[in-house]
Amino acid sequence: MHMADALVSPVVGGAFWVASGALIGCSARKIAAEKDNSKTPLMGVLGAFVFAAQMINFSIPGTGSSGHLGGGLLLAALLGPYRAFITIASVLTIQCLFFADGGILALGCNIFNLGFFPAFITYPFIYRVIPGKKQYGGRLAAASIVAAVAGLLMGAFSVVIQTLLSGISELPFGTFVLFMMPVHFGIGIVEGLVVWAVLLFVSRTEPRLLVPANGARAPRTVVAVFAVAALVCGGLFAWFASSDPDGLEWSMSKVTGTGEFKRAGGKVHDLLAGIQEAVAFLPDYSFKPAHSAASTPDEQAAGPASPVSPGTTVAGIVGSILVLIVAGSVGLILRGRSARPQTSV
Amino acid sequence: MRHPAQLDHLHLIGRGSYSPALFLNWRNHRVSLVILLLFVLFVISVPKHDVTAVIVFAAFPLLFVTAGRLPVLFIAKRLLLISPFIIIMAAANPFLDRTPYVRIGTMALSSGLVSGTVIILKSFVTITAVVAFTLCVPFYRMCEVLRGFRVPGVFVTQLVLLYRYSFLLVEEATAMQKARNMRAFRRKGRDLFTTAKLLGSLLLRTHDKADRIYRGMIARGFEGELNKPKADAVRKEELFSAGAAVLVFALIRVVF
Repeated sequence: MHMADALVSPVVGGAFWVASGALIGCSARKIAAEKDNSKTPLMGVLGAFVFAAQMINFSIPGTGSSGHLGGGLLLAALLGPYRAFITIASVLTIQCLFFADGGILALGCNIFNLGFFPAFITYPFIYRVIPGKKQYGGRLAAASIVAAVAGLLMGAFSVVIQTLLSGISELPFGTFVLFMMPVHFGIGIVEGLVVWAVLLFVSRTEPRLLVPANGARAPRTVVAVFAVAALVCGGLFAWFASSDPDGLEWSMSKVTGTGEFKRAGGKVHDLLAGIQEAVAFLPDYSFKPAHSAASTPDEQAAGPASPVSPGTTVAGIVGSILVLIVAGSVGLILRGRSARPQTSV
Repeated sequence: MRHPAQLDHLHLIGRGSYSPALFLNWRNHRVSLVILLLFVLFVISVPKHDVTAVIVFAAFPLLFVTAGRLPVLFIAKRLLLISPFIIIMAAANPFLDRTPYVRIGTMALSSGLVSGTVIILKSFVTITAVVAFTLCVPFYRMCEVLRGFRVPGVFVTQLVLLYRYSFLLVEEATAMQKARNMRAFRRKGRDLFTTAKLLGSLLLRTHDKADRIYRGMIARGFEGELNKPKADAVRKEELFSAGAAVLVFALIRVVF
């Protein structure tokens, strides 16, 4: 359920970058304060372990399909919340950069959805609570499954909220939730079973590995962190719902420090509009509904259904593809001057 | 499971095997990361029905890929492995938003079809940009740049270690999976609980590895973080490049 760049708006992507960045900073400070360097390589290698474990698939009974480990809850169980969060964030960063899983702007959303919930919500409040002092019996199975399901459902719900706030998809809220929740409920049960089975195996063969994480206490600041995150999301929701700014307007308002950019900078806007009219060599040719789109009487007779004129649309596509061809050709010309790659492909 | 094609060129990624000297030398890695983020931000800010602007933005990765002699086939494979989640989201739009948006002859293109196309195009453009960047900038340099941006040392050290050991563990996991599949008849032995034991033993091996690595790191004077932040003053060229990039991207958004 990785969010992708193409599905988030700059506002949502930016807000979750800030939220996830703050959580990384907070966790890093906690870890640095522990002054326990021996766990540094363990975190690194466990991150690589999650990565490698995802290569190993298993068949899911009754469905004929196969699945793999997600890893968030297992990391929390082995490392405790703060180290687990940093490790999950690093795994997602590598996946984003090298496997194009999720995007670079959506990275904040992904870290929040897949890292925050298992590390700071389900691990301390569900996984640690249900087994009590009995660590490896049937209660551990219940804890693993409930925590995995809850974590994934929260993450999936967060994906729904982020997508809807971004306004890119046309899916209505109800349909989207009905689609996401059952799917992630099923995935959560499988994930919980795997986590339980792995922990059971480790507890029988090498119980000492589970000691440090069991000693880790639930974070005291987690409620505060959750409250701040909820406030950020709530504020974002309210603001977004009330003003619904376009992405560029949002970034402009960030730069100018005022949301009233258009009114305050009316002259600037007029100037830019003037430049646009003067510079556009195929004016009014995008898919934006053009108020002044020239329409022939024939088209008017055809009906008012089409808000943009086809002539300008085709011209627009041709124009943009021309730009692509020019860029490609310039690249090929420059290629001759560019140094050859250091290694052969 | 990850698609095997994702691993085909594992040796290429993060090594900085490609260095188009024309655009990038190691002094420019910092500003190119900033420009990459700005680029993605601008592409994402394109309204959901604006096909032309996305195509025009595609010019930048295309220019970079052709001029830098980047492996086109490799990037194309990455684009084809686009996540099913995006495809579902994009494919749903034409069914959910059937209002005709534009008529070409007798054919009416629905608003949903156009917005779905924009989602796919935006994915292609942003993924190409990120993959091109990672092909050109070695991962350790990217981590140094991040450290320069005051990203916490704990996180940067984590990234370095994760990157370094993922090659080793992926190899090990693949070998373990192959061994299991060779011994498994049909579906027997590939079930969840047998695989969990496999994962458990991979976890034990991982833990032993971490112990050995830690001893190695201590022996070499490790004191908590791998990359110490360097006080690298911002150069005029960097400010100029970032400013020029913002100007060009903004101009494209205004013109197209």
